[in-house]
Amino acid sequence: MHESGPIYVGIDLGTTNSSAAVFDGEQVTPVRNATGTALTPSLVRIDGSGRISVGHRARKFLAHDPDSVRGEFKRLMGTRKGLTVASNTRRPEELAAELLRALRRDIETQVGVAPDRAVITVPALFELPQIAATREAARLAGFTEVEMLQEPVASALAAGFRADHSHGHWLVYDLGGGTFDVSLLAARDGFVDVVGHDGDNFLGGRDLDWALVQWACEQIEREHGVVLSRANSAHTPILGKLKRALEDAKIELSQVSEASVVCPDLIPHPDGARHLELQITQADLEAICEPVFARTVDVCQRLLAANRVRANEVERLVLVGGPAAMPALKKYIEKALGIELARGYDPMTLVARGAALFAASANLDARPKAPAPASAHRLWLRHPAVSADLKPHVVGRVMRADEQGAPTQIKLSRNDNNWESAWVSLNQEAGFIVGVELIARRSNIFTIAAKDEAGNPVVVDPPTLTIVQGMSLSDPPLSRRIGIALASDRVQVYFDRGEPLPARRTFRHHTVETVARGSDTCLLKIPIVQGEFDRAHLCRLVGTLEIPGTGLKTTVPAGSAVDVTLELDRGGNLTARALLADSDQVFDEVAHLLVPEASVDVLEATYQRSGNRLQELRKAAFRHHQDGDFRQRVETVARGLDGVGRDIEAARGGDDDAGLKARRMLLELDAQLEDLDAEIQWPALLEEAKWKLAWAAHWQQKYGSEHEQRLFNDASMAASKARERRDAVELERQVGLAYDLGFNAFVRDPQAWPSLFEQAAAAVDNARDLPAAHALVADGRDALAREDRRSLERVVRKLWNILPATHKQRRQAFESGLR
Amino acid sequence: MATPPPTPGLRKLVRNPFFILGLTPEASRAQIEREGQKLLSMLQVGFGEASHYHTPLGPQRRTAEMVRHAMAELRDPSRRLCHEVWAAYCPPPDDCAKPVGSHTPDQPDPWEGAFASFGWRMS
Ligand SMILES: Nc1ncnc2c1ncn2[C@@H]1O[C@H](COP(=O)(O)OP(=O)(O)OP(=O)(O)O)[C@@H](O)[C@H]1O
Ligand SMILES: [Mg+2]
Repeated sequence: MHESGPIYVGIDLGTTNSSAAVFDGEQVTPVRNATGTALTPSLVRIDGSGRISVGHRARKFLAHDPDSVRGEFKRLMGTRKGLTVASNTRRPEELAAELLRALRRDIETQVGVAPDRAVITVPALFELPQIAATREAARLAGFTEVEMLQEPVASALAAGFRADHSHGHWLVYDLGGGTFDVSLLAARDGFVDVVGHDGDNFLGGRDLDWALVQWACEQIEREHGVVLSRANSAHTPILGKLKRALEDAKIELSQVSEASVVCPDLIPHPDGARHLELQITQADLEAICEPVFARTVDVCQRLLAANRVRANEVERLVLVGGPAAMPALKKYIEKALGIELARGYDPMTLVARGAALFAASANLDARPKAPAPASAHRLWLRHPAVSADLKPHVVGRVMRADEQGAPTQIKLSRNDNNWESAWVSLNQEAGFIVGVELIARRSNIFTIAAKDEAGNPVVVDPPTLTIVQGMSLSDPPLSRRIGIALASDRVQVYFDRGEPLPARRTFRHHTVETVARGSDTCLLKIPIVQGEFDRAHLCRLVGTLEIPGTGLKTTVPAGSAVDVTLELDRGGNLTARALLADSDQVFDEVAHLLVPEASVDVLEATYQRSGNRLQELRKAAFRHHQDGDFRQRVETVARGLDGVGRDIEAARGGDDDAGLKARRMLLELDAQLEDLDAEIQWPALLEEAKWKLAWAAHWQQKYGSEHEQRLFNDASMAASKARERRDAVELERQVGLAYDLGFNAFVRDPQAWPSLFEQAAAAVDNARDLPAAHALVADGRDALAREDRRSLERVVRKLWNILPATHKQRRQAFESGLR
Repeated sequence: MATPPPTPGLRKLVRNPFFILGLTPEASRAQIEREGQKLLSMLQVGFGEASHYHTPLGPQRRTAEMVRHAMAELRDPSRRLCHEVWAAYCPPPDDCAKPVGSHTPDQPDPWEGAFASFGWRMS
């Protein structure tokens, strides 16, 4: 059946379960594994002699040989962590590759072709290193080309594809084993736009299981007087067993109203091991799970509010993922959000289905490419592979058009013989544009006919093209801001949240110190960070572009221009490139595209530091008579820190995932502490703002153009609004803008550059590159004597470039060598 | 040769998504997607005629990234409204709003009155 048309493959690589689906242009079919089900447990077993089994087969060993089985590796993707399975050590992406290899085999069994190309889904909030690791896993599994797609976007595509005339907003709520994603989409005229998404990388069915464990431990303590703790590594196997039993009970409770948990000899007791027997009811489950459910609802509400959409404007609410089967969850969500659930979707395979549909829109035919006949003339074709538009354009170009017998005219005909284009002559660039007509909701195959100058038919490659008519998805937006950390601890933003992908941007920076050619101690670091903060140290370091002295053709003096280009593809895959403008050398090795490791000791130290800061803040709040709201926020941070403390304990007991979670939480709490600090500093900030505005207003009045003055007024107005709202970030931004305008006017004063020069010259001994700095000062004195203001300005700007940022700022900014 | 956008303020004008896509503010969502899709295809196969677009301040260079950005801007109803106002307030000469394929890209035709109508001073 598949010999004629293309096949598109989608894979949902889940924390707990994985699945695949294929799309043939008409229908999406889930792929069955050897046990006949569409779900493959994300488990890999490696035995003593290195033999590997995956999925259901691996699962069988969980009970009696748990050390040989490993799951939840998705959570550790992109870390350096080696995972020990029996006596073997594997990186997370190697284990994921085993799983992908098994799915690839299942697909081959079902459709008769081992796929080369596929779309693999990742959580929307996956960071760059995690995406890169997933891509690596696919490569290891034998895929030659993959695209990444965000899970919620995939579910939405599957839920909406071919939905008739849907208009309005949809909320796709995906609670998985370990991650929570929610997306807001808008459907209009057959187009789906991702309006926004949000989520929590550390929230999932797993948290329900741990909540159940906590509950069970309380019962055990009450009944048997035994305290089980996640911090105690001797208890790890017991708690693991208990968690599995409770998870089974949780799943059972999706069908029945009461379940029992029985674990023989589970509880260690001085008088000998005791059995565990517990009854758990729907009502118990609801009560235990509610805090987790509530957290997901908070995220949904945050997303709706951020996009100014009211709950009653949401037309469809689609639940995805394992916990979506829980009656308690469905009830809670419907009630809390006040939106009725959309029925009729399989929450477990929706993501894979969407991925397969997306593979079609990305034109990723999974079949190995057939060699073209030697006589064929190559065409370079571009067209949407999936189109909501019934009349899209096909654009093409003939390669090597000057060859003997090359085509000069092209015609497209639809394979149902009911539509064909006219013969279209190629333009001067050997190109053509043909508007085609599609049959709705079908896979439309077009045959390409060609004639040469003499009117003889010409064989072209490819001979056909396919366009699927259906829901089309606009470019997926970026979920986190990406930029470069500067030596001043600021961030140069390259891509903002919500930016359509793919995207590419270049900014010019300058080096802050000299990197000597051939030196193996000199290294220029360009840290790439991800996160919403303006201060680099609050963002996450996701990669570093390194320019080593040993790789240089010439020494790069401080203040040299470096053009850095960052590029993101549709799946959020990042490439980075630095061009040294003067020597024309290009560097594109990104070192350590890794999630920084969360060693327990480092976490502990950071935790202590945050704790101390919190104490300071409490005292300051008292001194400065801060209001109740402020104190409340301090206490929220305190509660967050308590949670971190528990996670660090669990990390000590061997739970790596808890360590990662603690790292993330600490960063977020740090940012909150910073905000609270800023609030304490508010009066000083206001004072500075007033001074700056007054200065800028003075120079604007004197030298500003009409338009500049208008901009200046806008900025000071916005600053005053920010002051009313006590929005420190916005205030700084607007005052900065006004100040820049003031500065622009100020430098029109004849005395401006001379005085700026004197200031810079006075600080010259701090420059990293002293000889260069002194030479510049000498140049400046010359220019001053000649009254050459232009040269003087150039000198001053160069001096600014080589005067240093402080050491502290640089260290915080991941040792960035750029400004 | 394309005229460089003179100042950040004017850049907003010459980067108007309607100009980039060569459409008028009345264009429907379907037209925007179709035209955007076509331009992206043309840019990918390297058609010279897609590489510039017309603005009141003369032709500007067009890149695939700008096209995608323009499409994203016009998908958001509130942002689209804002661009409509700008594009309508300061329409390019009539013959510029035609889709690509109907004009020669390198004939510079800056709209004389544009600067003045914005209270801009030419330095
Ligand atoms: N019938 C059920 N009732 C309740 N919970 C279930 C049911 N089936 C699975 N689960 C729970 O769902 C979770 C797994 O969900 P799912 O398979 O959607 O996750 P995943 O896709 O692997 O994870 P992620 O999307 O985070 O990578 C587990 O916590 C599991 O206990
Ligand atoms: Mg999932």
